[in-house]
Amino acid sequence: MVIVKRKELSFAERLYLPEIFRALSLTFRNMFQREITRQYPEEPLPKTEVTRGQPRLVELEEGSLACVSCGLCEAACPAYAITIDGGETENFIEREPKLFEIDMLRCILCGFCEEACPKDAIFMSDELELAGFTRKGLVYGIDKLRRPRAALQKRIDYVYRINDRWRNSSSTH
Amino acid sequence: MTKITLNGREVEADPTKPLIHACHAGGVDVPAYCYHPGLTPVGSCRICQVEVKQGEAPARVVVACRTPVAEGMVVETESPRAHETRRECLEFLLKNHPLDCPICDKAGECDLQDYAYAEGQGEGRSVEPRRRLDKRKSLGDVIVLDEERCVLCSRCVRFMEEVPKTPQLTVGGLGSRSVIETFMDRPLTGNYQGNLADVCPVGALTLKPFRFQARVWNLKKTPSTCGECSRGCATSVEVLRSGDVKRIRPRYDAEVNTWWMCDTGRFAFEPLNVEGRITGGLARQGNTVRPVDAEDAAAATARILTAERPAFVAVTPWVTQEEGQAIRALAAEWKLPTYLVSPAANGLEDDLLHTGDPAPNRRGLVELGFQAKSPAEVLALLHSQSAAWLVGERMAALLGAANLAAVAGHKRVALFDVLPVDGPAIEVFASVPLYVERAGTWLNVDGVVRTLQSSRPLPSGFPTLERLISLVSAAARPQGAALR
Amino acid sequence: MTVTLVTLLKILVIYGGLINVAALMTLAERKVSAWMQFRIGPNRVGPWGVLQPLADGVKFIFKEEFTPEGANKFLFRIAPMLSAVPAMLTVAVLPLAGDIAIPKLGTFDLPFFGPTELGGITTNLSITDLDISVLFVLAVSGLSIYGIILGGWASNSKYSLLGALRASAQMISYELTLMLSLLSIVVMTGSLDLREIATSQATIGQWHIWTQPLAFILFVVATFAETNRHPFDFAECEPELVGGFHTEYSSMKFALFFMGEYCAMAVMSGLTVTFFLGGFGVPFWPDAPWFVELPAFLAKTAFFLFLFIWVRWTLPRFRFDQLMGLSWKWLLNLALFNLFLTGLASALGWF
Repeated sequence: MVIVKRKELSFAERLYLPEIFRALSLTFRNMFQREITRQYPEEPLPKTEVTRGQPRLVELEEGSLACVSCGLCEAACPAYAITIDGGETENFIEREPKLFEIDMLRCILCGFCEEACPKDAIFMSDELELAGFTRKGLVYGIDKLRRPRAALQKRIDYVYRINDRWRNSSSTH
Repeated sequence: MTKITLNGREVEADPTKPLIHACHAGGVDVPAYCYHPGLTPVGSCRICQVEVKQGEAPARVVVACRTPVAEGMVVETESPRAHETRRECLEFLLKNHPLDCPICDKAGECDLQDYAYAEGQGEGRSVEPRRRLDKRKSLGDVIVLDEERCVLCSRCVRFMEEVPKTPQLTVGGLGSRSVIETFMDRPLTGNYQGNLADVCPVGALTLKPFRFQARVWNLKKTPSTCGECSRGCATSVEVLRSGDVKRIRPRYDAEVNTWWMCDTGRFAFEPLNVEGRITGGLARQGNTVRPVDAEDAAAATARILTAERPAFVAVTPWVTQEEGQAIRALAAEWKLPTYLVSPAANGLEDDLLHTGDPAPNRRGLVELGFQAKSPAEVLALLHSQSAAWLVGERMAALLGAANLAAVAGHKRVALFDVLPVDGPAIEVFASVPLYVERAGTWLNVDGVVRTLQSSRPLPSGFPTLERLISLVSAAARPQGAALR
Repeated sequence: MTVTLVTLLKILVIYGGLINVAALMTLAERKVSAWMQFRIGPNRVGPWGVLQPLADGVKFIFKEEFTPEGANKFLFRIAPMLSAVPAMLTVAVLPLAGDIAIPKLGTFDLPFFGPTELGGITTNLSITDLDISVLFVLAVSGLSIYGIILGGWASNSKYSLLGALRASAQMISYELTLMLSLLSIVVMTGSLDLREIATSQATIGQWHIWTQPLAFILFVVATFAETNRHPFDFAECEPELVGGFHTEYSSMKFALFFMGEYCAMAVMSGLTVTFFLGGFGVPFWPDAPWFVELPAFLAKTAFFLFLFIWVRWTLPRFRFDQLMGLSWKWLLNLALFNLFLTGLASALGWF
């Protein structure tokens, strides 16, 4: 048991009024301080490589997706936001996504898909804004998700760097 | 029965089966690639090695699939030595196995993947490149071979030799260049090729219709019965996201089909993914057809069957015993003859599984008292009698949709089928679920009870056939009359 | 005729002004709170966000009117009006400025009334001059509690009901302090007429804030409680009661509650000024014309309105038992004591 000795308050302190006036003077002085608000759409926050925006699919130089629709991101997604249907192609990698949908309303930007992907095909981009008029319109298909690799390069480099210990000669490539 | 000690536990073992069978029966998971309970063991993959001590001799590591069970055997499957041997063996198996899992259809149900995940090492030690072989070698209309993934277990070779007894595959080439091939690159033939993809322990043999269609962990697997012949093979109906049936696979059933099923049944899932189904039913008044709900369709059916004579009831052989019984009870009450529309033999009969009779519940319905009539006879009845109640999926297919539509307008027909047929005589249509969406039982050709289960949810307002029949029965009774 | 027209004009101007003050107060509330928290505040609608109240109004009009299930529809509907109207009524007797002499404007031929002589009267800037206006103010402002109680009860919601119960208990408690603190002023001036009370403080030294400092403090504290403002806003204490009595209100009904609150604040500030700060009197200029007196009054009132906001964004909320304890154990006793002293002094003829 701990006995806490309360401080004996003086009359002025018990009156509470001096403290009120001190508080009032503080807020009054604060009125003339500089604002720290950032005017968001005009002054966006700086985006760093750590920024986890919406997930995007990597488009390779030859124009095809890096994704092979293995479904690991779909399985890893805690919000069940991803739906993939695969199909066959004539490429060397025989499988490609015919349907790749991320329900952006469900997506919680956790980055599990990025972590799960064995093909470095999905990365968290720095795109943050999301608005739409219909729920359907915010279910993004391949056409809205694909980004050239160069656009995601900053994040890709970052992920490679922090995952270096997993990535060595015997890795996927 | 022979007594052996399995991981320190006394178990009974079947002396006619290899040791691995006793291990599996005893609940011990010994990995196996070349061993398949339905095929002759050859011991080519060596992954099932366990430590066995017999008598006074020092313990040896042996392949469990080629070791006969002997009295007093002491088997250790989890000893460090057994583990080490299996791990080394696995490393060799994985030496040339491509890291294809993200692409491979077998991923998720692959024995090699499972064991590599459980026991394998994270990195390969090999410095040489992997061998490069044909990744897309077509073996006929059903099977594609990925030679790189093959672990040369020869299950497929033995399956073709032993089960359909049509040896078409062999292991060709030498050493690391060994591949599975057909004689002179001829395409595979026969009605049992689909089983090759099932016996393959890795993703080397894949089904063309299923290739890259779905990840197996997304498939909801429901035990069911094949509806393509009167054998009634036990199947697993696998549905993707409560929607399309993507694959039908055999399920082990010692009485009927063991591990196998024919391609006719395996690839019969396309018709199960019908589009354009309606919820409830349709009712015709003159020349207009309007949608009604199931209750109204049932009431209209009851009105027809109680008002018109002569009339009859005909069912298709996909109707279950439970539904058949209810229909018989109803027909007895209204004194209507009951017929089974019996399709002709389709000539696919073989001495393995397929009976050649495409009516899965023929025996059960005939035992219930349905009189088998050929489609032509039923059509003749339609023309000669004034009303009919046609129940069951594929009714329009059996009788011919054009023939049904040609029945004269003054006949009154209630059609309970999957898809509506437009014809002047078809006064009522009610949508019935497919057999993969219903629960019930069939009797197969040998009188064995086969069970059906619903593999995907029905949309709301979509009653089961049993419910539809009871609605018809309830509609025929005066309001408030007690049901039986 | 002229009197009627002038009265109508005054009603129009004063109520129009009051509603605008209420609207501007919503903006001021947000702006001042923003400045106190190093923020910018609304700055999107119009220059520096001055059109924000307009945008809010438009938003309120277009919001869904929602009536909860099981609510008493009639009471639910009239409660916001009952809350807003009394707050606005009291402004009728507030003396905003001294006499205004309207010159003779000549004779006009008015429809229905025939030739009428307009002008030539002296009026003053309050809608009506009631000789018991103090009683009127206290009586009418006490009515606004009905709006809150009915709104809370008719919503058929536990949060609303609890908020309304708290509000009623609180307002009844603080009304005593409010009135008793005013009584000392009434005793001193011997009048129940607000205008007379205001004019009795002609010079800055006669302001009752100097003669009755205790009454001033009690009155200001009580006005905070009466208007349900921080630190006494238990009727809508968000962390405990969601939105309090107006939890279930939306759209213009909610806006009416809101407006009622701000009108009450404006009126209470005006009363404080009238009772304690010389009303419309201009310091050091006893005979100032009305167009100087009105801004003087508004300026003093504006200070108290600012005080309302200032205190809200400075002090934390009390606990409800502390609130009631403060009222019954301290403020009421102090008010009685102050009244006793004032009465004693008056009996002894000290003023």
